[in-house]
Amino acid sequence: MNLSIKPIKLKQQSVIPGFGLTMGITILYITLLILIPVAMVFVNSSTLGLKSFWEIAASPRVLASLRVSFGTAFLAASINAVFGLLMAWVLERYSFPGKKLIDGLIDLPFALPTAVAGISLTTLYAPNGWLGRLFEPLGIKISYTPLGITVALIFISFPFVIRTVQPVLHSFDTEVEEAAACLGASRFQTFRKIIIPELLPALITGFALSFARALGEYGSVVFISGNMPMKTEITPLLIRTKLEQYDYSGGTAVAAIMLIISFAMLLVINLFQWWAGNRHKMR
Amino acid sequence: MSIEISNISKTFDSFKALSNIDLKINTGELVALLGPSGSGKTTLLRIIAGLETSDAGNIIFDGEDNTEKSTQDRKVGFVFQHYALFKHMTVFENIAFGLKVRPSKLRPGKEYIEKKVHELLALVKMEELAKRYPSQLSGGQRQRIALARALAVEPKVLLLDEPFGALDAKVRKDLRRWLRKLHDEYPITSVFVTHDQEEALDVADRIVILNQGRIEQIGTPEEVYDNPANPFVYNFLGNVNLFHGRVHNGKIELGGLKLDVPENTEAGDRDVISYIRPHDIEISLEPAENGFIAAAIIFIRAVGPIVNLEMKRIDTGDYIEVEISKEIYKKLQLKEKQTVYVKPKDFKVFIPEDYII
Repeated sequence: MNLSIKPIKLKQQSVIPGFGLTMGITILYITLLILIPVAMVFVNSSTLGLKSFWEIAASPRVLASLRVSFGTAFLAASINAVFGLLMAWVLERYSFPGKKLIDGLIDLPFALPTAVAGISLTTLYAPNGWLGRLFEPLGIKISYTPLGITVALIFISFPFVIRTVQPVLHSFDTEVEEAAACLGASRFQTFRKIIIPELLPALITGFALSFARALGEYGSVVFISGNMPMKTEITPLLIRTKLEQYDYSGGTAVAAIMLIISFAMLLVINLFQWWAGNRHKMR
Repeated sequence: MSIEISNISKTFDSFKALSNIDLKINTGELVALLGPSGSGKTTLLRIIAGLETSDAGNIIFDGEDNTEKSTQDRKVGFVFQHYALFKHMTVFENIAFGLKVRPSKLRPGKEYIEKKVHELLALVKMEELAKRYPSQLSGGQRQRIALARALAVEPKVLLLDEPFGALDAKVRKDLRRWLRKLHDEYPITSVFVTHDQEEALDVADRIVILNQGRIEQIGTPEEVYDNPANPFVYNFLGNVNLFHGRVHNGKIELGGLKLDVPENTEAGDRDVISYIRPHDIEISLEPAENGFIAAAIIFIRAVGPIVNLEMKRIDTGDYIEVEISKEIYKKLQLKEKQTVYVKPKDFKVFIPEDYII
């Protein structure tokens, strides 16, 4: 048996110098901008003690808000995954007049202040709004319901899936599809068995980004949700409400809960992605 | 299955890729489509497979018109230059793919698929690699898997698009011998595209030489090599020397050399170009009575049994390539910068008016 331990080698010989400097800046940057602020959430909430922390966490209003937040964000990210894939496909595979324009429009949700998006969506989808009016007779209310929140979240997290899937589709070898066709695979079989597995890692990345972005959204949702506690109150808003009532530790406790759940979900997504991306590279 | 290509034309934007191609490929034949890049050979192969649609003409398999059929329904095996293996599937899954995607009524059972895949793996001599992924294989191995995958669906026609183009010289040679052997054992009608004349001459039963979307000549390797139909074919199949000369009353004058050309008697009196293969040139140290052409040796490459000589004609300054055996080379004791006298043993004359070069 070989018991010798390979020494950990931090620095590898490379033609490009500056490992020490760049690594130092990276760590400093991450510490200042991510680690310390996130740690503050836990430090502040830790003043509560475990018992009162649990009381806050398990309170019906907090649970309801978490349900709304995660539910709508998950739904929005899922819808974006499906339609984002479709749009990336259209933009990469076909050429049509106005393609460049549509490609440019996709990034618009990033450029628009989210409050503006929230206000215009609320007006559009309100029962007397241009689009809301069409759904009203069907008994579907959009503004001031979780459905409205989902619409706003779809809007603000719209570009992620398209932008992650596009480059993969672009470099996709069409010969592989032709090979599948020659072997008798139908278009749907080729899509499901050949294209989707190749796109999966990018699709999951897009989904995860979309989901994370939707989870943290505040600006547009406050307008369209109506902010009714237990019904359409999202967690970020609940945190703000608590802070406005000078309940700082309560606010940070909710934030900590949200962070922990988010971490767990992103971890699961990343594991899934690692699996999808590496299963044919292993050994 | 026989393939009949009738009057096929194809234009990409303004580029005429194929014009009025007629070709019949017999059952069990191994045919090479040979041509320089841009000659339309890959386009023709893709049209046979249904991966590309022709602007005009028909593709007929065994008397049945397949022009309108989709690739899926044509039951052809296609092998791509860059393998086009499914990266996320193992070697086994790659080969089994064609059987697994069949509609449930026609899909063979699991045991049958397993048996079939192992048979094919044995055929390509890669049994022990069934669980590997394509990224863990070498180029030659990948191409053999691609071939096994294409054969799994028992195609009636096998189409290969520059199958060995991306491989290194040694592997290439091995694989094309192996393909020849495979075809002798399982005579599937096969068409393969190549730009390598040596490969085509080595493997194919018949060669179709394409240039600028047209067929220049069709024939067995011996036919096209020994009796090229026109200067293009002559040029394309191996090295060649051009001698500008003049025919006059059934004789050709090449520099100070006069030779009989009975087949060009009716040509009258005109300028011609004669083509001479490097190995059809005789070297003499002394100027003989019927006027050899004087040339200076510029460069000698004496590796292997054939010695390559590069010479420069003293009268016109044209370069001549000559191949002689090592025996003769040693006998003559040739050296660089030496002046010798050359005479074509065999040559072909093309009247340039018929062909634009």
